Amino acid sequence: MTDLDNDAHDARDENDDLDGHTIDELSDYLDRGRTPLDPSIEGSPGCRIALSSLERLRQISKSLVEVDAAAEAPRNDDWLGGILESIGREARAGRDIPLLPPSPRATLSVTEGAVRGLIRAAGDRSGGLIIGRCRLDGDVTAPGTPITVSIDASVFWGERIVETVDRAREAIYSALLKHTELTIASIDITVHDVYFAQVSDQEPDDAGDGSASNEGGAL
Amino acid sequence: MSAAPYRFSLEDADDRILAGRAADGDTRAFEVLARRYGPLLRAYARRILGSNDEVDDVVQETLITAWRDLPSLNDGSVVKSWLMRIVSHKSIDRIRARKDHLDVDDVDAAQPDRLSPHAVSEATSLHEAVSQALTTLPLDQQRCWVLREVGEHSYDEIAEQMGIPASTVRGLLSRARRNLMTEMEAWR
Repeated sequence: MTDLDNDAHDARDENDDLDGHTIDELSDYLDRGRTPLDPSIEGSPGCRIALSSLERLRQISKSLVEVDAAAEAPRNDDWLGGILESIGREARAGRDIPLLPPSPRATLSVTEGAVRGLIRAAGDRSGGLIIGRCRLDGDVTAPGTPITVSIDASVFWGERIVETVDRAREAIYSALLKHTELTIASIDITVHDVYFAQVSDQEPDDAGDGSASNEGGAL
Repeated sequence: MSAAPYRFSLEDADDRILAGRAADGDTRAFEVLARRYGPLLRAYARRILGSNDEVDDVVQETLITAWRDLPSLNDGSVVKSWLMRIVSHKSIDRIRARKDHLDVDDVDAAQPDRLSPHAVSEATSLHEAVSQALTTLPLDQQRCWVLREVGEHSYDEIAEQMGIPASTVRGLLSRARRNLMTEMEAWR
């Protein structure tokens, strides 16, 4: 053990070397981000050693669960599958959006959730971006009401943002026109991030399929 | 559909996109989130519970609650810490339900400040030493420490969750801190 270690060790037990401070005080001091600067702490070699030990301990503690998680044995899929199955049963339908023309004999409607699925599928497939959350603002249950569609998206790195967004907007607009009776006032796409996608020659996978089946099943 | 220069996988999407899609009812996006953070949720629950027994149940409850409440999460980019909060609440609920938490009256009387010597002498890294030392602490010290340092909960939040006074939380953290500092020192 070095002298430094001895100092730090003793400091832990007695506080003699902490120049009147305690470990708990030092911990609170760290919690405050070492502001305002306390000269009686910063000027004490014992305190400074203890502070760096504390910081180290915190750093390690903070990463404990991440490290545990990395060593976590893989779960069998049945467990998660069961959970997903049960949540899938309470899908988010949202509001009912009528399909025209209504008649006294029959009403036909599509759910808001299905329309969102349609928007995701159309947007994702237009290429160069991935659709996140989307919102239909306006009374979608009343035919003819102007609806504003607000969409969150990430554009793939290397894509021209304006062109990509325009292409997506058009694709979404024509999908909505084709499959719904909504009166679309505008489609606002907000790009919050650039997304580092892997270029791949593979067939469209998860996202496309998931959204597509949503669309197919609902409409 | 033919012009798309990129094909993406939801697995590569960021948290905000996935949380947004899941909030909108995309179960595939939710599945990706559940797989991405499942191990972390399990590990966190295990540290708080202090055993493996109820980890499955707690994480299951967490995911079901998350699915239900996702539409009210406004910023999807914080979904990881949001999930961590849910799992810590669910874990503490379990502990409180089975009443195996420390009797508050015993806090000051019982715990020795020092652990048995060489508790971590077999550790091969400082990280492992801290990890092992933590598991030798009394459960309530472990819990408070993990909620504070991993979950970044305030003293008051921990007190409220665990149903003990904030002063007790402060005392438990103080003991945990000193114990862990000593073990760190012993390992070197």
